[in-house]
Amino acid sequence: MKPAPFDYLAVTSIDEAVRALQASCDAKIIAGGQSLVPMMNFRLVQPELLVDINRIAALSQITETTGGLTIGALVRHVESQKSQLTIRHFPVIAEAMHHVAHVAIRNRGTIGGSLVHADPAAEWPLLATLLDAELEIHGPDGERRAIPAEFFLGPLVTDLQEGELLTAAHLPYLPAGAGAAFDEFAQRAGDFAIVSVGAVVALRDGVIAEARLALGGVGDTPLRAQAAETHLVGKPLSDGLLAQAATLAVEGLEPNTDLHASSEYRLHLVPILARRVLATAARRARGACE
Amino acid sequence: MPMNDAAFQPGPSTPVPLSEDDVLVSSRPKYVGKPVQRLEDPRLLTGAGRYVADMVINRMVHVAFLRSDQSHARILAIRTEAARAATGVIGVYTAADFSDIPPVVATSRMRNYHATSNPALAVDKVRYVGEPVAVVVAKSRYLAEDALALIEVDYEPLDAVIEPEAAAASTTALLHDQFGTNVIFERVFQTGEASQVLAAAPLSVKGRFRFHRKSPLFMENRSYLAEYDRGRDLLTLHSSTQIPGIVRDVLSSLLAMPGKVRVVAPDVGGGFGGKGSLYQEEIIVSALARKLGRPVKFVSDRMEDLASSSQGFDELVEAELGFDETGRFLALKADVLGDIGAYSIYPWTAALEPVQVVSFLPGAYKIPNYFGRVRGVATSKAPTGPYRGVGRPTSVFVLERLVDMAAHKLGMDPKDLRHRNLVGADEFPYRIGSGIIWERSGFVECLDRACEVIDYEALRQRQQAARKQGRWLGIGIATYAELTGIGSRISVAPGMPINTGNESATVRIDSTGAVTAIFGVASHGQSLETTLAQIVAEELGVRPQDVEIVHGDSAATAHGTGTYASRSAVIGGGAAILTTRALREKVKRVASHLLEASVEDIETGDGRIFVRGTDHQITFAELARAVYSDMQTLPLDKREKLEASESFDPYLGTTTTATHIALVEIDPETYGVKLQRFVVAEDCGRMINPLVVDGQVHGGVAQGIGAALLEELVFDGQGQLLTASLVDYMVPTAVEVPAIEVSHLESVLPNNPGGFRGMGEGGTIGAPAAVANAIADALAPLGIEIFELPATPERLFRLISAAGAIPGKAGAGFPSGIAQETNAMEE
Amino acid sequence: MRMSRTVDIELTVNGESFAETVEPRLLLSDFLRETLGLTGTHVGCEHGICGACTVRVNGVSARSCLMFAVQADGATVETVESLGTVSSLHRIQEAFRKHHALQCGFCTPGFLMTVKDLLERHPLTTNADIRDGLSGNICRCTGYDHIVKAVRELANERDGVAS
Ligand SMILES: Cc1cc2nc3c(=O)[nH]c(=O)nc-3n(C[C@H](O)[C@H](O)[C@H](O)COP(=O)(O)OP(=O)(O)OC[C@H]3O[C@@H](n4cnc5c(N)ncnc54)[C@H](O)[C@@H]3O)c2cc1C
Ligand code: FES
Ligand code: FES
Repeated sequence: MKPAPFDYLAVTSIDEAVRALQASCDAKIIAGGQSLVPMMNFRLVQPELLVDINRIAALSQITETTGGLTIGALVRHVESQKSQLTIRHFPVIAEAMHHVAHVAIRNRGTIGGSLVHADPAAEWPLLATLLDAELEIHGPDGERRAIPAEFFLGPLVTDLQEGELLTAAHLPYLPAGAGAAFDEFAQRAGDFAIVSVGAVVALRDGVIAEARLALGGVGDTPLRAQAAETHLVGKPLSDGLLAQAATLAVEGLEPNTDLHASSEYRLHLVPILARRVLATAARRARGACE
Repeated sequence: MPMNDAAFQPGPSTPVPLSEDDVLVSSRPKYVGKPVQRLEDPRLLTGAGRYVADMVINRMVHVAFLRSDQSHARILAIRTEAARAATGVIGVYTAADFSDIPPVVATSRMRNYHATSNPALAVDKVRYVGEPVAVVVAKSRYLAEDALALIEVDYEPLDAVIEPEAAAASTTALLHDQFGTNVIFERVFQTGEASQVLAAAPLSVKGRFRFHRKSPLFMENRSYLAEYDRGRDLLTLHSSTQIPGIVRDVLSSLLAMPGKVRVVAPDVGGGFGGKGSLYQEEIIVSALARKLGRPVKFVSDRMEDLASSSQGFDELVEAELGFDETGRFLALKADVLGDIGAYSIYPWTAALEPVQVVSFLPGAYKIPNYFGRVRGVATSKAPTGPYRGVGRPTSVFVLERLVDMAAHKLGMDPKDLRHRNLVGADEFPYRIGSGIIWERSGFVECLDRACEVIDYEALRQRQQAARKQGRWLGIGIATYAELTGIGSRISVAPGMPINTGNESATVRIDSTGAVTAIFGVASHGQSLETTLAQIVAEELGVRPQDVEIVHGDSAATAHGTGTYASRSAVIGGGAAILTTRALREKVKRVASHLLEASVEDIETGDGRIFVRGTDHQITFAELARAVYSDMQTLPLDKREKLEASESFDPYLGTTTTATHIALVEIDPETYGVKLQRFVVAEDCGRMINPLVVDGQVHGGVAQGIGAALLEELVFDGQGQLLTASLVDYMVPTAVEVPAIEVSHLESVLPNNPGGFRGMGEGGTIGAPAAVANAIADALAPLGIEIFELPATPERLFRLISAAGAIPGKAGAGFPSGIAQETNAMEE
Repeated sequence: MRMSRTVDIELTVNGESFAETVEPRLLLSDFLRETLGLTGTHVGCEHGICGACTVRVNGVSARSCLMFAVQADGATVETVESLGTVSSLHRIQEAFRKHHALQCGFCTPGFLMTVKDLLERHPLTTNADIRDGLSGNICRCTGYDHIVKAVRELANERDGVAS
């Protein structure tokens, strides 16, 4: 389990990174390395050139912008978990990060790496989907933005083109009176989720003004449960309503069966977690309204 | 661990006559029984331990093995030219290059046993994914792995032999053609008329039980470093093995180097049985070191270790228990099919594990009629071998499940049913239906103690209350007995090529007064450097830190087999006591001359030798000087050699028992299982070091919990290992294992020099059954029984779905909605 | 077979500066063990699960099997050898010894480096927090109970709470 040979280049700017990626037809970016290096040690990935972006200081910031937070691609899981800005605006991030692997891995793993790695059961792709993130991408043709629904194409597959670099995720603030929650079911602490669910519920005068429900581990990419969301919006909050929406969350899902869970079991878990998470989000929304 | 046949004929009950005095050792225990801090710790804590992978020798080269990616195939051609030409490669070798090394055969005198021929590298055929086919020697492991990718093998696929029942029935898809069958052994154990009694029994319960395959998963992957001294034609193998003596013996013969092989186990990072067999890689690195005349190192990576280290358990058991209306057990019948994998492992043979399932199945209970049949079937998977508990985790799982099912049927509390049937204090020695004889041990006492610790009655009430709230709480008891520290009378019985029944020790005082004690056992986490030092120190009158323990080196002892089967405390400890006592007599005789007192008045303690009741004393260093260097003090005939050597053979074995109780809570919606409490009450005889005993129990229980909830080696229909990394072969972390509450009973001491019982494996024996019973108990209102381990959430989902329990209904009263929320972090 | 260009790196390990030339693919774990001879850092899986290889890089815990040595250019690395010595154990090592929190010792260096990080940066209010913090390190011998006890004692000591 030793990686195959490769060349290595540590870059210090986004431009340099983009240029380096173009220099080789088989270049790979390394960020935290927490997904890439295991695959290289297994020799499942054998890049010719490894472009290390860890020294691009500009990518490590969490900044407030008008209308939202910008989280640099190199922000480590632990930083997104502990930053005052995320705790203030998106406490759901810390709630989700708690489920990502373990301390030492959270110390190094990055948001950008998680998003580009695009594991359908991973927390960051789910959060990006839940929080309507806009992903900032730099490439040979300059900068572009992508939304999660277009960015995540399949398990470990994204719309990132050759020579492109993910630089940040922009998270628009939640509407006033919103609460968010995350939960997942995994066999052991820190394992990738069998099913993960995130919810945002925004209340106005006791009526659900906005509802989002995102699901992980049940498709090729993280998904939004649109039927459930639609069912909630415009209706007064009640336990019954949330329970109904939770059962609608399975609509259209065709989860895979793998070693640890069958498609049926995943479908069984979705409404349970959806109900719990919607309930928590709704309670937090009520708290936010008080 | 091997016992079987001999258990049929009760031997003399006490071959080694011991006085009451011997059992109690002495009235001044200073170290034995104390939580002495471990002597091995400082080096292991500071990174100064020396595991094989840490060793570097001049001119050392590295190897990587090309392993079969087919589970059953004929090898048509192997092309190695490109690999040979790769950077840094010193050589590439296949079986043809080692044709002078005969295959290994694990013989047995057992009838109906076919010994497989185990080649060091696959010859003509591969029989499991991961079997070594070729080996690359290169300047670094990196370069060796680069070259592996350049070796081409042409295989002609043969039928995979995967499902044990189909494999047993097949006469065409054969792993070892010469046998004409995949069933490589069959045995029957019988007492009374189990079938007739069962047919007539007023009540009975039965099931088809499956205990899936596990990996011992020691944290240090297997590692070997062979060095060859060409001047002296001496081969030294540094090996992460539990059995240096056995490996030395077999290597000497395979390589035709009698008297020229030394096997040393330095610090070893866990074994649990998985490092207790001979491995092909040990043979190959040794042969290569001689061939190349330079040190050759192999450090397995985790993928190859999972694929090729011996695997554990893997049985299918059909069993039925008959009883009367009062709950008295009448008869037990079982049919066991053991999936032994591709080869019969050396030296234990493939029979060891499955046969122990049948021989221990009647357990700690009085069951007058027993019939047990066991077959071992070869499949195209990695070989099975000993793993902590050997056979008994499965037998205890099956029997304890049947006992709980019987209690359920009778409407009786599981604890009471056990009470009714356990062998009572006044009924020892007791011979169970397979022939094993239990000596006095606290079967009932452990059950009572465990119930007391967990406050069983109150817990049952709490469970009732919880059920009313829709919570699924379950309580599971497992009571078992095992034989530990097994002597030659029993170990010889299965006809294996080795004698595991005795150990010897040598204890000496050198010319500086330092004490060295040499053993044939090999510590790989068991704390033997401390516990054996405690014993020697106590017996000799020095401090544990003054005793240097030598172990794990085949050159240090004439014969010694190693550490496995909960034997080292009993047998190694027994040898330590006998030897040190012999040495102490010499010390006293010499001292009596030096101190001018009678031998009876000489005492030792804290590194001093003194005349009782006086301040006349000398140190061990002064004693040594008088004997070895200062030729003035002692007359020639008083200069005794300050060394003693004795061996100890317990002849039979020592009965060890325990009761485990698990409390689980299952989420009635997701079916996630959480262990709330785990209690163990065990009778381990006299404890040498309670900290160490607790540690052994904790570790064993954690492995048992893994076996019950998480761990399974999964193969697909083609014999590919799907759980090929630690991502998918899941062992428990600190979060999945609860605090483990251990209670020790030392009430009755067994009849051996130290009064010790072995306890290295018990945790793994009892825990799977306790957890299974707890889960079944939690699910009892749904009419669900647990027949298969691990009981993963997916399996529980399927069981509950099949039982028609719809969430919400089943979890009657489980409130939905806002009250039932995530355990959000800030709350 | 492709060969890669070697790279010169400088780094500080356990307070000592090193300048070495390495192949880019050399894992930090192998660099520490083989190039520097610091064999206290153990390797149990090389895919990030077992935690045996845990060291501290620039003050925080990291898996040395998931980093390349070249990436540590300019970094400060601490391994188990930076803690105490055989004759003068570090407080964490003492607590592990006192509570018999190690058996074969193979996982131990990784646990010690993890615990150092936990004590510096985590509240560890409950034993569940401790277990959670340790969940990235696998120990197959101890069943974790004694490790949790050792860390509880250390956390209490840190917080000035009576054990
Ligand atoms: C034991 C273990 C358990 C884990 N458990 C979880 C878990 O429960 N949940 C979870 O979400 N994750 C888990 N992970 C993965 C972890 O979160 C990783 O950190 C993350 O998936 C990848 O981030 P990284 O920064 O390490 O990326 P890397 O490993 O460096 O890279 C991953 C991929 O992304 C590419 N890449 C990285 N950054 C960029 C960028 N800025 N632009 C373009 N491409 C880029 C790389 O080329 C590579 O293909 C686990 C990892 C381990 C080792
Ligand atoms: S060796 Fe690095 S985590 Fe296992
Ligand atoms: S002490 Fe052996 S793995 Fe932890």
